[in-house]
Amino acid sequence: MGTTATAYLTGFGRYLPGDPVDNHGIAARLGGDDAVTERIRRRVLESNGIRQRHYALDEHGEPTELNEELAVKALHAALDDRGIAASDLRMLACATTMGDVLVPGFASMVHGRLGGGPMQLLSASGVCASSLAALDAAVSKIRLGDHPRAAVVGSELPSRSLRQRRFDGFRAGMDAHFLRWMLSDGAGAVVVEFQPHPVKPSLRVDWVRHVSLAHEHEVCMRAGMSGAEPIVGGTWQDVDIADAEASGMFVLRQDVGMLDELADAGIRQFEELVDIGLVDVRHLDHVICHYSTNVFRDVAFEALRRRIPTLDTDRWFSNLETRGNTGAASIFIALEEAWRTGRFTPGETVLLAVPESGRFSFAFAHLTVVAPPTGVAPPDQQGAST
Amino acid sequence: MTSNTTTGPLEAVGAAALSDRLAEVWIEFEERLAHVPILRRLADGAVTLDDYTRLLFNLRQQVVDGSPWISRAASSFDIDHFELRAAAIRHAEEEHRDYLMIERDYVAIGGSLDDLRRGRKNIGSEALSGYMFHYADQPNPVGLLGAMFIIEGLGARRAAGWAARFQEVLGLADSQVHFMKYHQDADAEHTGNLEAILTSGMIDDAAADEIVRCAQVVARLYALQLEELDR
Repeated sequence: MGTTATAYLTGFGRYLPGDPVDNHGIAARLGGDDAVTERIRRRVLESNGIRQRHYALDEHGEPTELNEELAVKALHAALDDRGIAASDLRMLACATTMGDVLVPGFASMVHGRLGGGPMQLLSASGVCASSLAALDAAVSKIRLGDHPRAAVVGSELPSRSLRQRRFDGFRAGMDAHFLRWMLSDGAGAVVVEFQPHPVKPSLRVDWVRHVSLAHEHEVCMRAGMSGAEPIVGGTWQDVDIADAEASGMFVLRQDVGMLDELADAGIRQFEELVDIGLVDVRHLDHVICHYSTNVFRDVAFEALRRRIPTLDTDRWFSNLETRGNTGAASIFIALEEAWRTGRFTPGETVLLAVPESGRFSFAFAHLTVVAPPTGVAPPDQQGAST
Repeated sequence: MTSNTTTGPLEAVGAAALSDRLAEVWIEFEERLAHVPILRRLADGAVTLDDYTRLLFNLRQQVVDGSPWISRAASSFDIDHFELRAAAIRHAEEEHRDYLMIERDYVAIGGSLDDLRRGRKNIGSEALSGYMFHYADQPNPVGLLGAMFIIEGLGARRAAGWAARFQEVLGLADSQVHFMKYHQDADAEHTGNLEAILTSGMIDDAAADEIVRCAQVVARLYALQLEELDR
């Protein structure tokens, strides 16, 4: 077989719009200040454990930015961290649940705003795990040697569709409330290269794995259809837009009754990584796990500790409580913070884990912290291009 | 190729002597290459991505001239040297897209195609290219078989080893070392064709002297090209 290159994460960035919003500031932006909604909100917030989040909405609930703007700001932060420009990129892989527009693809809009030169694009759609699907694509192209440098961004702006106007006129169930008080906005980005950072540590990507179990699971998270099954002639594209809205088809919903099943399936996927040797539990130093609520933090943590008795909370990182659940952006926002705050040292390994409720997808990535190369050329010979 | 049916003992001896003389040139060439800084760093495992980038940049400026000088040589062979003319035409056709491989490799490791195409030859490449074009202009430039011996020999015997070493030290994918990898196979075929010509009996003593001399000059200028990166 041919020889491939190695992919390294060399730059990290994030963008969280506006000031952090605490639990008391939510209603001003999203609405829903009647007594019933108030009670549901309190209950959901208690269980998800999120104390602070960001919305691209002003204090009156009006949008302040586009999703593509969040993505571009996170990309700029990652490029600045690496010390390169957009013109150095040859590929851009973008993950989001919903872009700003229906057409064209999200990556086209992000590239248009970012600038730089000609590059390969990928718009990975889906929900949370689309983040690592985008990373996988970029890493694969880097490893093939097709591109020297790529950027990956996960970006979400769900807040505008969580506002009261979407909930007026029909009785929202727990399936809608659960997400309404959980999701928030933000973007996270990484730079992927075939060489490690010349003077700083990098994260070598050992592997990325993405598995869907949609063949044996019903839809868990949805919008644009009236039930768990799409019906010919009955999707949001078929019926009158006004009817679709009135029946709450544009509200993002999650069948919360399926979440235990999702957690079990995710744990089985992790067990499989251990069983087939992709994760060596004796050499796994850090776990960054995306989960939607603190309930699943405890479930996942205990399950991992069954296989990794030495896993303690120091080696487990999440910023759900302070940055919110930002869907496809969250794993990059967490990775950026873990990286920037110096949690990792060369030689250590990191597992990224992203379960996606949508229709049961699970994505993992295994990273190793590598020191900058020693005895290499002086910095002036390490430019992005010659 | 008019006398190949009457290859006698004398010519066979001549051919053997020519290959011995070329082997000597090759040994001297290899010794010189061992002292070229970038190749020394490559051997030591101290080579950097910047070294590889510069090497491709410098080679490209000379490789774009490869097919033109072979074509020019083809047009300088008269009808009595039809076989050599035919071989040169074939060879020129095979090589005239080679520089595109360098360009793809260069871009794949992060270089700018515009910069590469705006580049100029280094001092050694100027000398090498100038000599080749000058020589190719001479009537029946049989001595150029000596140039082939060096350049194709480098491709067949060394390029793949360099590619593998660059890959090992710098962690490069196959698609970032196309040019050097490709030349292992392509040039092995070319050197096979060259052997056939050198042993065909169509090379007389005067031509053999020319071939050896040309091989010596090209070996020196090729090494100079590698020594004078970016200058």
